[in-house]
Order: sequence, then C-alpha cells, then structure tokens
Amino acid sequence: MSEEKSGSMVLKGFIEIPYTWTTGPAASKFLTALRDDKKIWAVRCPSCKKVYIPPQEFCGACYVDATEWVECADEGTITAFTIFHKEIPEQPLKPPYAYALIRLDGNPDTDLIHIITDTDLSKLKNGMRVKAVWKEEREGDILDIKYFKPIEG
Amino acid sequence: MGEPIKQIKRILHVPYEWSYGNTLQKFFQFTRDEKKIMGARCKNCGKVLVPPTKVCGRCYSDTETDWVEVKDHGEVLNFTVVYLPFPGQPTKPPYAYGYIRLDGSATTYPHMISNIDFDDIKVGMRVKAVWNEDRKGSLFDIKYFEPE
Repeated sequence: MSEEKSGSMVLKGFIEIPYTWTTGPAASKFLTALRDDKKIWAVRCPSCKKVYIPPQEFCGACYVDATEWVECADEGTITAFTIFHKEIPEQPLKPPYAYALIRLDGNPDTDLIHIITDTDLSKLKNGMRVKAVWKEEREGDILDIKYFKPIEG
Repeated sequence: MGEPIKQIKRILHVPYEWSYGNTLQKFFQFTRDEKKIMGARCKNCGKVLVPPTKVCGRCYSDTETDWVEVKDHGEVLNFTVVYLPFPGQPTKPPYAYGYIRLDGSATTYPHMISNIDFDDIKVGMRVKAVWNEDRKGSLFDIKYFEPE
C-alpha cells in the first residue's frame, strides 16, 4: 500500500525471507542449555585460556579446538551499554531499552551482548551488577533470557 | 528436556519503502482517485505505454507530458498459473498471472486473472478489470481481471 509523504507517493512493501541456520555443536549446546537448564555456557581455549561467549568451536587466535566448557552465572557486570530510544522494525522490545555488554561471573574475558530494561535507564552505569530474567516458555533462543535487570541494593 | 537444537528456522522481515517517482505517481493517482488507467504516449513512435515510463524504452524519447486514457479491458497475451506457495505472494495459490494488452495501449500490463476456471484461460481471450472499492494507489487498485 502506498502513502503520500510530503507530496510523494511511497509504496510500503514487506519482504519475508525464511532461512535455516545450522548451529554447529558449540551453539547447539549453548542454545539447548538455555532452553532446558537455564544455564549459560562459554568455552575456554585450551592453549591461550581465553573464554569465549557465545561459545565457538575453535579459538580464532590460536586455531585450536575450543573444547573446555565453562559455566557462567546468569548475573554479571555491565562493561558498556547504549540506550535505544528510536523505534525501528523488528526490534525485540518497545524502546526505550538498553543494549549492554555484560561480563558474566565465571567468564573473565568476553562479554555477552544482551538487553537491559525494567529499570530506570538513566541510572545505568558501567560496573553495575545485573541479573538475567528468564522466559517461562523457552525455545532455545538467546531471547530465552528476556533481558537483564540491575540487582537491587 | 527436548531434542538438542541443531538448526534454527527463522523468518527475516524486511520492510522497505519505494518512491513511485513522477510518472508512476501520476498513474496511481489516476487509478486511485478516478478509476482510470492512463498511459503515456511516446512523442517519437506514438506508442502508448502502460504502465507508463518517463522515457520510451525503444526511442529514448520523453513521454511524460502526453497522457492518454486506455480502456480497463483488453486481451490476454500470455499467462501462467501459480500452484506453488512461496513467501511474498500477493494471495494464496492457486492463482493466475496474465500479461494483458489493454485496449488503446501498445504494451502489456501484468495482473491477476480470476473468476474463471484456470483450465479455461486462453491466450487471446478478453478480460476486464474488477476495481477495488478501497483504492490506495497501488497495482491492487484493480483487484484482478476477469472474463469480459
């Protein structure tokens, strides 16, 4: 359907692209554990000992298989964040909300990107402690964690 | 506990906006506001182009100031029946697409052919437009074409 924007007619269209993505073993374990156990897994490179989240099958720095699994807590510390105010198509939530890099307890090296909301966003600070809020009906998706919210007190 | 996840199936939704530009905008204003199909006549070869283009593809000559009304009925030059469902279709299969030469135009106008047993669609048959009551300025200001 079209609408007129400052005198110009604009067709509003919508393309749907269905796709299938094969997870591979590392993401398979990660997503399955989110769904079944409410657990967040990372991997450690056996050579350089760096911990990766989301887990990957090999260490990009050492080119060795990342075989050591590391369980992370579902709480951690904000490394960095940005607050999203603009509404755009296909957002997971209605703005405002924040995207943050979160250093989960048990993972000293890398950050999980996730959403922070259900709080006063103007009070967010790097270094703040946050905890995951899980979905009841989980389906093996990163949004099985609905969002993270600051731990009170 | 369920099966381990090995594949993720998702649908990527891609909304987009496309500006008609001067010539098509005028064309769709005519279909929306006046239920008229207007073609553009090439100033060089005199052919009437529907849908209109700003420049005649054969002569590279301007067309856009010379608007000509064409009929909302015409002849099926070609058609195909779609049975396969796939994303982005305008309607549920089965349906038929036809290339229709509207009376008074020199080109083919693509649209759906309906209200007919698909086995009875023939090249050369006469069809007429069924207009939408709720017209918004798009190809679907005409619902489909049906046998005349």
